[in-house]
Amino acid sequence: MKALDRWSEAASRRLAQRSSRRSFLANLGAWTVGAAGIPLLPVARAEAAGTGGPAEPAQTTGNTQDPGDPTQCDYWRYCAIDGFLCSCCGGSQSACPPGTEMSPLTWLGTCENPADGRSYVISYNDCCGKTSCGRCLCNRNEGDRPPYRPGDNNDLNWCLGTKSSVYTCSTGVIVGVKE
Amino acid sequence: MRSWLHLLLTIGLVQASTTALADDGARNRLAWMLQCQGCHRADGTGTGDEVPAIAGQVSRFLHVEGGREFLVRVPGVASAPLGDADLAALVNWMLVEFDPGHLPESFTPYEPAEIAALRTRPFGPEVVSERQRLMALLKAISK
Repeated sequence: MKALDRWSEAASRRLAQRSSRRSFLANLGAWTVGAAGIPLLPVARAEAAGTGGPAEPAQTTGNTQDPGDPTQCDYWRYCAIDGFLCSCCGGSQSACPPGTEMSPLTWLGTCENPADGRSYVISYNDCCGKTSCGRCLCNRNEGDRPPYRPGDNNDLNWCLGTKSSVYTCSTGVIVGVKE
Repeated sequence: MRSWLHLLLTIGLVQASTTALADDGARNRLAWMLQCQGCHRADGTGTGDEVPAIAGQVSRFLHVEGGREFLVRVPGVASAPLGDADLAALVNWMLVEFDPGHLPESFTPYEPAEIAALRTRPFGPEVVSERQRLMALLKAISK
């Protein structure tokens, strides 16, 4: 056993002495770690590392009828959002970041606007085509149902009907109001 | 005097029922948005073979045998989280809203009891072949 230890140490030292810091071998480790950043399966997304902490400066809509900060999980429109906020990813609560495509197939729910107490219909269109934004992950589930009701489930990858099904981030577009 | 009263009463009733219809329209629109629009799209055009179009299509099925039943037995309708009365209202609304041009003259609106009976027999994967069968029948009668 000790001989094996000695051999391993010697071999490692020889390798380290011969490889430069910029060599392929030295970079392979970084690439291997980086590969783990490839998005998890869509249903597992909610358990991925990180919380909704802001990496972006606070935002405001500038509209008193649409209060709150769209970079925060508790923004009223996000009552059933599951994913990264496009507001933190170069887009907004209503628009996709440049270079991504808004999915036409989507999950819809209703959220109560604290400004007027009314329930608005929110369409959580995903933006698709670039690797996961990775910022401002939120997971709220008002009206969410388990995956056996796929149309009512916000864990699924809703990048459907787009050129790419790679999920980037989620919006919360107002499409109606509950009478 | 009496005729004026009758007139006022009629106007009142018509306004009340129009308001009720408008309320129902909003309710049905909301149900459509929450239960259907996500996949069938706001304009009901669907996505190719994956998600059937509702617009310009849905009322056609009423012209062939099995079509009326089909519209309720499709999984998305049969399993909708709506009571029978609300689902009947929604389906009736969809036919007029998205495909009024194909609505048969003889159409009688769905009633809750009919919805209740049909939705206990939802289609499984055979819905695809059943839809193809009905579309072939429609093609044969040029509807």
